[in-house]
Amino acid sequence: MDKRTKILDNYSARVFKNRKDHIVELEDAADPQSIAANSRAIPGVMTNRGCCYAGCKGVVLGPLKDVVTITHGPIGCGFYTWGTRRNKAKAGDDGKNFIEYSFSTDMQEPDIVFGGEKKLKQAITEAVEIFKPACIMICSTCPVGLIGDDIHAVATWTEETYKIKCVAYSCEGYKGVSQSAGHHIANNSLMKYVIGTGDKAPTQKFSVNILGEYNIGGDGWETSRILKRIGYEVISVFTGDGSYEEIKNAHTANLNLVQCHRSINYIAEMMKTKYGIDWIKVNFIGVDETVRSLREMAAYFDDADLTARTEAVIADELANIADDMAYYKSKLQGKKAGLFCGGSRSHHYQNLLADLGVETVVAGYEFAHRDDYEGREVIPTIKTDADSKNIEEMTVTPDEKHFRLLLSKEKFEQLAKAIDLEAYAGMIKDMGNGTVVVDDFNHYETEQLIELFKPDVFYSGVKDKYVIQKIGVVSRQLHSYDYSGPYAGFKGAVNFARDTTMGVSTPAWNYVTPPWRTVPTLEGKIGGEE
Amino acid sequence: MGINFTNLNVNPCKMCTPMGSVTALYGIKKCMSILHGSQGCSTYIRRHMATHYNEPVDIASSSLTEEGTVFGGASNLIKGLENLIRLYNPEVIGVSTTCLAETIGEDIKAIIKNFYMANPDCKVKIIPVSTAGYAGTQYEGFFKALQAVVANVEMTTEKNNKINIITGLISPADTRYLKQLLDGLGVSYVLLPDLAENLDGVHVDVYNRLPSEGTSLEEISQMAGAKFTIELSTFVSDDISPAKYLEEHYGVPYKRMDLPVGLQATDAFIKQIVELGGVISPELTKERGRYLDAMVDSHKYNALGRATVFGEPDFVKAIINLCCENGIVPVVSATGAACSNFQAKIEAPIKKVAAGLFVENYAMVDDADFETIEQLTLDLKANVMIGNSDARRISEKHSIDLVRCAFPIHDRVGGQRIQMIGYAGSLQLLDRISNTLLGAKESTFREELYEKYYTGSDKKSPQAIHEVTKMNAQEIIAQKTATHPCYNCGAGQYARIHLPIAPKCNVQCNYCVRKYDCPNESRPGVTTEILDPEQAFQKYVIVKEKMPNLKVVGIAGPGDSLANFEQTKETLTLIKEYDPEVTFCLSTNGLMLPLYAQDLIDLGVTHVTVTLNAIDPKIGAKIYKYVDYMGVRYTGESGAGILIGNQLTGLKYLTSRGIICKVNTVMLKGVNDDHIETVVKKVKELGCEITNIMQLIPVAGSAFEDMPLVNNKEITAMRKQCEVHIKQMYHCKQCRADAIGTLGNDVSIEYRGCTAPSSTQEKTLEAKRFAVATKSGMLVDQHFGHASEFYIYESDGKTAKFIERRNVEKYCTGVEHCEDKASKIDNILTAVKDCHSVLALRIGDSPSKRLQDMGIGIVVTYDRIEDAVKKAANQ
Repeated sequence: MDKRTKILDNYSARVFKNRKDHIVELEDAADPQSIAANSRAIPGVMTNRGCCYAGCKGVVLGPLKDVVTITHGPIGCGFYTWGTRRNKAKAGDDGKNFIEYSFSTDMQEPDIVFGGEKKLKQAITEAVEIFKPACIMICSTCPVGLIGDDIHAVATWTEETYKIKCVAYSCEGYKGVSQSAGHHIANNSLMKYVIGTGDKAPTQKFSVNILGEYNIGGDGWETSRILKRIGYEVISVFTGDGSYEEIKNAHTANLNLVQCHRSINYIAEMMKTKYGIDWIKVNFIGVDETVRSLREMAAYFDDADLTARTEAVIADELANIADDMAYYKSKLQGKKAGLFCGGSRSHHYQNLLADLGVETVVAGYEFAHRDDYEGREVIPTIKTDADSKNIEEMTVTPDEKHFRLLLSKEKFEQLAKAIDLEAYAGMIKDMGNGTVVVDDFNHYETEQLIELFKPDVFYSGVKDKYVIQKIGVVSRQLHSYDYSGPYAGFKGAVNFARDTTMGVSTPAWNYVTPPWRTVPTLEGKIGGEE
Repeated sequence: MGINFTNLNVNPCKMCTPMGSVTALYGIKKCMSILHGSQGCSTYIRRHMATHYNEPVDIASSSLTEEGTVFGGASNLIKGLENLIRLYNPEVIGVSTTCLAETIGEDIKAIIKNFYMANPDCKVKIIPVSTAGYAGTQYEGFFKALQAVVANVEMTTEKNNKINIITGLISPADTRYLKQLLDGLGVSYVLLPDLAENLDGVHVDVYNRLPSEGTSLEEISQMAGAKFTIELSTFVSDDISPAKYLEEHYGVPYKRMDLPVGLQATDAFIKQIVELGGVISPELTKERGRYLDAMVDSHKYNALGRATVFGEPDFVKAIINLCCENGIVPVVSATGAACSNFQAKIEAPIKKVAAGLFVENYAMVDDADFETIEQLTLDLKANVMIGNSDARRISEKHSIDLVRCAFPIHDRVGGQRIQMIGYAGSLQLLDRISNTLLGAKESTFREELYEKYYTGSDKKSPQAIHEVTKMNAQEIIAQKTATHPCYNCGAGQYARIHLPIAPKCNVQCNYCVRKYDCPNESRPGVTTEILDPEQAFQKYVIVKEKMPNLKVVGIAGPGDSLANFEQTKETLTLIKEYDPEVTFCLSTNGLMLPLYAQDLIDLGVTHVTVTLNAIDPKIGAKIYKYVDYMGVRYTGESGAGILIGNQLTGLKYLTSRGIICKVNTVMLKGVNDDHIETVVKKVKELGCEITNIMQLIPVAGSAFEDMPLVNNKEITAMRKQCEVHIKQMYHCKQCRADAIGTLGNDVSIEYRGCTAPSSTQEKTLEAKRFAVATKSGMLVDQHFGHASEFYIYESDGKTAKFIERRNVEKYCTGVEHCEDKASKIDNILTAVKDCHSVLALRIGDSPSKRLQDMGIGIVVTYDRIEDAVKKAANQ
């Protein structure tokens, strides 16, 4: 029985039918394999997925530090997104940093019965009076869509009454099949209402936006540090340590860098159409990948000085971390890892692990789409279903005032052959034969995969962290880094290597013997399932 | 006193009912939970519980999608139940609803009925719990689930001798203790729920994903036949009370009691158990005695405790009981739940203890958010907070310690092992609270005593007045700090003016040349004029009229402001009369600080900068050539010793009176670079606000002229190293003594000579070529390395003629990069190689060496280009 069959063996016929397409055992890397993704989670199997609201408010909008983001709904949703992503932000020039706050309309039964618009308006009035923000955002939760509160009308009212920016997001939890729907909704409205409303021009020759970097554990700061060192001006970051004041000028940048493809590719694409800004898929997780990303950026701008500076910085940064990385590699070489993150990190971190001689034997995404697994070339073949149809596919047209192309068509095509220009090859192609890719892991599958693959470290989130540790395997949180970080860029790579080395050398593991460590291979039924 | 007149909840002090429900169900043996709604609800709740308990938390979801909101979620829930049973094999499943399911009106009972019909062999007990997230908070969801459990489990009505013990949310460790206590009392009981194991699991060889401990269905079925029910909750209402349900349906009498936390509540609980047949063991008597002994031992520390207690109402009541009997006054009692009888049920003990300890005001609020709690905590001067980790932001912001002892605790481990129940638990918690109070006391009381009884002794009455107005004064200073560009990075839009009124100096620093060069702040520039107080006042008036954002008047030399105290005093007095709102800021070497500190405060100075390069006289001796003090010139260690002593005494005096102090330290390679962290720690201890570690700017003619420079990287590294101790200034622009404007934009040139004529001497010489680094094209105002182009001028000393602009690539793009030996410098050098000198605002060490090697002169200045070029030609 192959590994995949073993995992699926305990499912009922109906679940088997569904899950079989979400689990792929890679055979021949050259022959592309397809995987089912971005479809509904199966009820009752302990999916790790969150909801649409989580993707919109929790992920994309939450880190915007100068925005008062009000959760319109009962108290739970607002409470649960309060500081839970561990994004970091430092107040900007206006001194405003609301990232430590949670704002909610705290709807009660009468609000559900009679409607909550009035309460929302009053809450906004109070927010304006107390916090004087330049921008307010409203995120709705499940009941709001059902009782028909028109949050968009409230946003218009707010703009007229208080002369500030106000954007509403209908990101009710039940929309779509995962957080992914929320990313899309957030992307659409940022594009529609925020990007392009500023007029602050770049002050330097080479300017970029970093898209899909949420500054978990300070990743964005390390990335920006490297870019600034080379001489790039970072116009805006979506959205780690980001601000409304910056992203409204995002359209003035020369180039978009896409870090988390899943959550932000919509904006990258729409900005290309509307403003002519090209984007490249970068990855600042992993030393080799960071170097690749920096070189591709230099290749894009094709400027001799910039290229020289890029190489000088790379050489210096590499020299600074070489000893540390070599040491940690000597400690970690040959170990095996499992990776299960949201929609991009499971791929990104494979590169960093490879830098350290660690092989990724199993990887999966919580809410990715097929293109994140198989590459953007499959996008035309992805079928829209009832759930994805409900999320608006926004179309934009070139902006007469701001549209400009940096590269000629020929140059673009020529460059596209050399670098990841508006391309993303996905995770699967980077994985070895015999490894398994799983979409939308659940608790049961996590246990099975650990028993089958016996990874030395399993990287995932807080919900499965304790399951993994109970089984006797090192767990590191890659959603929020267990208080550590940054893991991005050059210095981050060393942090990651150090944390992983600390994890595997924790003395407590000497007293813990997972049963499968002592049994060479597992035959027959999966443990504990009879 | 419900004060939630607001519609915006800022930082919630409550969670939703589904959270309570699934937590309670974790205390039922072999029970799994499924939330009927969007999958986000279970994901969020799992995440929060896992973080607190450090255990796997599995709560399934029916994963409703948009389709479910239209057609109903029955099929999702049925599928969810099937899968949950297959993967986890539970004996009980709790189905809790969510906002979504309740809003679309799902009939859970009917769905469960259909499920049983479709699965006739299913033996799993499925219990529906109605938990709309908008109806109540966590504790209400908790009791709703327990009531649903007793209402749905088939009961055996046969009488037994058991006592039902029903609790709200208590920790696993407390649950284990409670069971031991009951076992020790020798009674037979059913504990609902039993959270002892499932959320505080042991590490075993084979992990079992089904929570396998807790109250079993069999035990629950005996609750109907029990002789009595004790419901350990102060606030549970009859409609959701399991005890009430058992009474109404099975005639089991019940009593509702506070959680047994503290002596009286535990006594009451044990008395009740004894009445029901329990026997007190000698060991329990000892345990009680031990707690009582501790209460006596620590009463003097506790009596100074003023607590903010917040959380779910039953928890708040339990902690109030413990605090009040120990003389800790709960000045703020708050719950996020809407709880109409909150005040009625908690006030009596608070009132009593407050009266005994002379506390006049205390607040009790329900439906409170943390914004409200924070305000009350400050207003009523609480010195300890007791509750969950959500108050950590308030704790950090205002340095009020937080005792974490309620769910959720996200920033510490051991939430599952918190103890407060019974005598032993009360003792544990009391010790934690007492030690928290002691910890704060230990670090401050010597200082306070010294201030109050020693230094303050000769001016007792002003001190008392000072106390009363302290709050107000501190607010004013805080506001002034917020608009001071040097103290607040975000205040860059506000302008300041430095008035050059103080030419004399009393310390000779080795990095300074006393030619109107500033000894304090190592400014690159000088001042072009010295003003007398009247001129300075006129200048202020002129500038203020043109620059309404002018908030700060600084006296920063060019000598030492206190060596010229009469001028300083007169200037400040004149300006204050004209503009009472202005912020006075003063920088000094600190030598005369002890003498003039009180005068400065009386003059209204709120911000003082002291340049403190060392606190070790041995090191100081290398930095200061001499110190003129009280008519005597001191050198070497004795001079440095006097200076350092006075600096430290002066700083202490100022900070203890609320003056915001900044310390500047010039980093001198091989002299004080290893010592700076010690300096920083010391000034932090003295109460300074921020330190500014600066580069040495070597001045020709000074003793340190040839000292190697520290580069930006080293400075940044040093600041980072020191940042753990005290806030660091990263945005210092090392201003001139006569700077005017915002930090980023010095406009002092526009106001030069506006009160007195200035003169420039000119000589005629042969024309030379100069390369000027300029941003504006008007002034020499750019760092050499930042320049992307140079303006080339020719001058014979009389006239200055613009020749051309030369573009070069910028080779220096920021602090991280300054020391990079990129080949670009060659481009710059080529661009200026035919020039006699380069003129720049600043220049790095390495380029200046290269220029010197090429025989090109360097003029570091800040001036109009024409003037600077002419001056350079004259040199």
